[in-house]
Amino acid sequence: MSEQAPVLDVQGLTTEFRVHGEWHAAVRGVSFQLARGETLAIVGESGCGKSITALSVMRLVPQGAGRIASGRVLLEGRDLVPLSEPEMEKVRGNRVSMIFQEPMTSLNPVLTVGFQVAESLHYHRGLGRAEARRTALALFDQVKIPSAARRFDDYPHQFSGGMRQRVMIAMALACNPAVLLADEPTTALDVTIQAQVLALLAEVREAYGMAMVFITHNLGVVASIADRVMVMYAGEVVETAPIDAVFARPTHPYTEALLRSIPRVDRNTTELQAIGGQVPAISNMPAGCRFADRCALVEPRCRVQSPPLTMLPDDPRHHVRCWVRGGETSVEALQ
Amino acid sequence: MIGFILKRLLVALPTLLAVLTIVFLFVRVAPGDPAMVILGDSASQEALEALRQQLGLNKPLWAQYVDFMLMVLSGDLGKSMLTSRPILQEVAEVLPYTVELTVASLTIGVVVGVPLGIVSAKQRNGWFDYFARVISLVGLSFPAFVSAVLMLLIFAIELRWFPVISSAALDDPEARLRALALPAFNLGLIMLAYVTRVTRSSMLGVMSEDYIRTARAKGVPGRMVVWRHALRNALIPVVTVVGLYLGVLIGNSVLTEIVFNRPGLGKLIVGALNQRDYTMLQGLMVIYAFIIVLCNLLTDMTYGLIDPRVKRQ
Repeated sequence: MSEQAPVLDVQGLTTEFRVHGEWHAAVRGVSFQLARGETLAIVGESGCGKSITALSVMRLVPQGAGRIASGRVLLEGRDLVPLSEPEMEKVRGNRVSMIFQEPMTSLNPVLTVGFQVAESLHYHRGLGRAEARRTALALFDQVKIPSAARRFDDYPHQFSGGMRQRVMIAMALACNPAVLLADEPTTALDVTIQAQVLALLAEVREAYGMAMVFITHNLGVVASIADRVMVMYAGEVVETAPIDAVFARPTHPYTEALLRSIPRVDRNTTELQAIGGQVPAISNMPAGCRFADRCALVEPRCRVQSPPLTMLPDDPRHHVRCWVRGGETSVEALQ
Repeated sequence: MIGFILKRLLVALPTLLAVLTIVFLFVRVAPGDPAMVILGDSASQEALEALRQQLGLNKPLWAQYVDFMLMVLSGDLGKSMLTSRPILQEVAEVLPYTVELTVASLTIGVVVGVPLGIVSAKQRNGWFDYFARVISLVGLSFPAFVSAVLMLLIFAIELRWFPVISSAALDDPEARLRALALPAFNLGLIMLAYVTRVTRSSMLGVMSEDYIRTARAKGVPGRMVVWRHALRNALIPVVTVVGLYLGVLIGNSVLTEIVFNRPGLGKLIVGALNQRDYTMLQGLMVIYAFIIVLCNLLTDMTYGLIDPRVKRQ
């Protein structure tokens, strides 16, 4: 693998869910690439498909209810989609790890935190009990859990939310993965704890040289940690750009509205700028642009045909899915 | 853990006191004069009075209560009115039979029921799941005495695999096991039905928990996800049901002992009821109360073993 090859290359991922006996796409044609050490933020409201995208990469979409219908997920050059479950078990927690939103319910209440961190070292590295314990203790120190040795054999209910999230991070780091998927890791935490956990994530990313996908609905969080932003709406990518470009020139009307909806202390506004309307239901997607019903710039053609993801003429790294604001060159046609 | 057990024992004490009080009142309030029951309608007034004196029935209620409590606390349950033998001795003679029956059926219920429930949950709506659900439905719908008679007809009378009458001597282990098989299976079937159902539904619930997804995200193999991460959590409601059901099991053992003609507490209690052996009845109720409290204590201790959150409270 060359130095330039992406560690994670998702191509045309479509993940479907069964609603009333019919399959509907919750994620449609999502593509993105992640270079070594790079952080991509996936942003969007609840139900936009950002978590499903991450779960698809992990191949953890609930069986029976959901399935990956098409697309490829290349991790370090290997496609994960056709792998069998036992093959996938060797990849999960080893080359790619995931941190979840709810630290309170994501740890097993009847197992000690130390065991839960040491466990993946046992499965992936074949470490014995004592060695796994030593390595896990070092991880505890790394994620700054105070008096780690004493707390190693404690149970999750004896930990606070922030400390549990640190345990989750230690667990994810255990086997030094190439990619870390963080699904709203700070959403359930207090604001001060959020900042600490965010700083910790940035720090371990540097130390481990990992690529990171950071999923959030909070654009404010994104600014401090991400290199690139991918905005999703109703299962599709609507805009993707380097972090500075998103804040300097939000182009898709949805991105613009998202940025406007961040409450700011430095502006003298009295009300929150919410986005009117709702995300269309998964089983009832409009024929044209999925954002049309909530868009201020809507034109007749928006309701007829779905716009392609296009490249902005002056910035090839800035892609937008919009008839009104988008460029001329379709990104999908280039690939 | 020892502190936890001591605390539980302390909580059990008031329960026992309350139960003893209720037993005392129950026997005193029950209609009929024990003295007249013992001596018959034709007994003379003097003879009745003498017996009441002897039994302490002419004392005021509170004095009888104090007598009763002191007697129980000193570890004496009195003598049977019928045989004049100490009640504790009569109980000790048959208790091993009831204990072996209860333990055997409990073991059948848990050892078969838990794996059945797990496989059922793993292959939800598959053929095995339907099979297990039919078995547990059968177990739940048959009253113990009906299934006991059916079993006797099929396995003891038609097939002659097991003896019809189950009272075997204590010193022949093989004969004793054969005698135990049918009654234990009869009681165990109901237990198994409950345990299978609860394990299945609790396992299904646990498998959709966030921490199971975390375990899978770590790359824990599927089998270990079930046995190490899910099972212990899923067992918590199973312990509740087994604990509650132990009481029912002891009640059902009365019926089973009668149908299979086994010695045991159940036969003792039915005998005492038929003969209006008040002192025996009172003694047996105290014994049962002790057994139930002990079962609850064991249940609580099992919680402490399974769930680390319980110990800290």
